[in-house]
Amino acid sequence: MIPALTPWAGTLYFNLTSGEPMAAFHSHHPPEDCINCEHRHLRMFCNLTPEALRDYDGIGIMMSHARGAKLFSEGDPARNVFVICFGQVKISSTSRDGKTMILKIAGPGDVMGLSAVLANVPHEVTAEAIEPCQVKTVRKQEFVDFLGRHGIASMHAAQSLSGEYLTVFHDAKRLALSGSAAGRLARLLLDWGRASANGKPEIRFTMALTHEEIANMAGTSRETVTRLLNQFRRDQWITIKGSSLTIVKPDQLERLTA
Amino acid sequence: MECEAISGRMDAVAARPLADLLECPPATGNLLNGSAQCIDFDGGEIVFRQSGTCRGLYLVVSGLFQRRTERLETRLTLGPARAGDLVELSAALGDGHHTYTLSAQTPGSMLLLPMEALNQAFQSYPPLRMRLLEELAREVSRAYNTCRLNRTLRVRPHGSSATPA
Repeated sequence: MIPALTPWAGTLYFNLTSGEPMAAFHSHHPPEDCINCEHRHLRMFCNLTPEALRDYDGIGIMMSHARGAKLFSEGDPARNVFVICFGQVKISSTSRDGKTMILKIAGPGDVMGLSAVLANVPHEVTAEAIEPCQVKTVRKQEFVDFLGRHGIASMHAAQSLSGEYLTVFHDAKRLALSGSAAGRLARLLLDWGRASANGKPEIRFTMALTHEEIANMAGTSRETVTRLLNQFRRDQWITIKGSSLTIVKPDQLERLTA
Repeated sequence: MECEAISGRMDAVAARPLADLLECPPATGNLLNGSAQCIDFDGGEIVFRQSGTCRGLYLVVSGLFQRRTERLETRLTLGPARAGDLVELSAALGDGHHTYTLSAQTPGSMLLLPMEALNQAFQSYPPLRMRLLEELAREVSRAYNTCRLNRTLRVRPHGSSATPA
């Protein structure tokens, strides 16, 4: 049973061996506003010029979402753009027969719903908080007008769209360029590990997804993910401690993805 | 049914005519025209490579070009680019690196609008960037639908056997 969490109680992680939820830990301090946010220099979208930042601070509203809250669902009219301040959001899409594929885990500074708003189409994906998060929510027209007023903002929006485009490509590549479930899982682990390593030699990351959710991302079954993670561990390609996963032999995983 | 729905969504995000996309005041238009370079390619020749630095926005003038993505020894064909297509909005407006490799399938030519001129045009006429941004958003939407088609065929149902796909 997953314990109920109040916003900002912390992050819920999953034991990678058993797939069970673990105790919540490490708390966040949500920013009061955009101007006084100490993290904005680290965020892709919010790192704006002082003039654009003042304008940005005046639009939209800050909203807190509990774990499991849906920010928008695939097929919903795109009325808002969402910028994550804190927390992680699962971006997924579902086919008519209920198969779900997780495209990415969006984090602080990521912009959601932008492509649907600018293309004037319903949301292509579903966004669901996988931990308590704070999200700036800006109405469609307000956001479009803001982009029109500030070149730097539209440049950041372009980078965000470009990133979204890459995500879709990566998804296609992950499914099409690796013939085996082992290869697709290996690719996911390497992508997450390298993103977290940030240039450091040790490839280690903390997992906020269940085996079922990892399976939805790798296009395979929950049982296969459990079996493969155990296999990788026995082969000493990875080590798992609670929700922390370290890739010990990236070259072996890389070989699987070929 | 699923494929029909996707087809309907693809129509809604079809590429806008080039004349509408690049329409701008004479001064900005002259700047873009003056800097545009026409480049000819032989069949099989590479226009740009995946992850390479983007020199600008490409417009297919003639011939047939093929997009493909690759990793190690594996290649995935993403579809052709034909006369009138704008190529790599994502790289030109975004992080400046190519998402895929483009090669000429037949002899053809492309018009290159260099990054520097494009950035000057954005400054002198901001709506141009917004219009291209909207086109990029439609391209992202098209990519979602293409990927969804692919995924509909490949994703396995819950509780299926544990043997590798």
